[in-house]
Amino acid sequence: MGLNPESRARFNLERTSVLVLDESPMGMSILVQILTGFGVKTLHRCEKVDEAKDVIAKVEVDLVVCDAMGASGEGYDFVSWLRTSKIEPNCYVPVLLTSGHTPSHAVQKARDCGAHFIMAKPLTPIAVLERIIWIAREGRRFVECDTYVGPDRRFKNDGVPAGMTGRRRDDLQGDIGDAQSPNMDQDVIDSLMKTRRVEL
Amino acid sequence: MSAVKIFTPPVKLAKQLRTPGGLPVAEAVQRAGAGLAGLKKECLGELTAVLEQAEACAARAGADYDAALAGELYDIVAKPIGVPSVCGLAAVDTALISLSDLLDYLKGQERWDANAVTVHLRAFRLLLHTEGSADAAGTQAILAGLRKVSQRYAKPE
Repeated sequence: MGLNPESRARFNLERTSVLVLDESPMGMSILVQILTGFGVKTLHRCEKVDEAKDVIAKVEVDLVVCDAMGASGEGYDFVSWLRTSKIEPNCYVPVLLTSGHTPSHAVQKARDCGAHFIMAKPLTPIAVLERIIWIAREGRRFVECDTYVGPDRRFKNDGVPAGMTGRRRDDLQGDIGDAQSPNMDQDVIDSLMKTRRVEL
Repeated sequence: MSAVKIFTPPVKLAKQLRTPGGLPVAEAVQRAGAGLAGLKKECLGELTAVLEQAEACAARAGADYDAALAGELYDIVAKPIGVPSVCGLAAVDTALISLSDLLDYLKGQERWDANAVTVHLRAFRLLLHTEGSADAAGTQAILAGLRKVSQRYAKPE
């Protein structure tokens, strides 16, 4: 990532409808100042989960910025509800979850709720913008199964865990055996990469 | 093993970001920063109220572990994390995170350490009401001390 705060590159959030869920008035004010600074004009501010659920049911939103909402983790529950709600297209909306402190018992809940990204507070405008742009551009695949609905949690592909069978079409099956022949010589590799003129 | 459906839903946000117009990154960040600066006074007032609430809550604690009180204090100090940095008091944020860690560990082990809590609240008051944050070396020493205190209760790796 690493967005330069001095960058002259443009982005447009003027037509983006954002739902902000934060029970703390100060936390809400901080998020609103950041988002309006970015040019967001349509903000649905919700201090309670029920209000946010109403908005999701009635209005199409393009981004959700949601706080974890303390030790109870109501924010995580809201994101889980959103993902399994089947209210299209909102159930696929990018979700940026913010958290001041994640208690140890909630770490798994945070990982599995179905948010695109979890940001630890304190938030800075550049970090929030970086994550929004990253979420939008990354276009992560969605996973739906009995135990999880949300964006793919794999940020890198290390293959299928040992002793398990892959469940994805592009998962390679079987173990990688020992090399059967010596490694190629570096000169041979270089010659394969060498640029050659071609006649068309 | 359950059946898995994997697909790529359309993301409208990506298209919207590319729509002509909008703002340069530098201007957007500057505008957001200016908006946050306008909240500074309000944030300081909120932090003062949080400190008083936290001290009053901690003062009610006895020698033994009280789950309800530990939970109440955790909620008081964890909620404003992120607010101090808006006022340029990042050190207060670090102190609040350390205190939240400590309370989380204590809750997990059903133990109470009044001294560890008190030292965090004193540091909170010091960093909030004095120019402690201007003394970088002193502030770092305080924060390192708090970290040591809270990490005493961290579960062994």
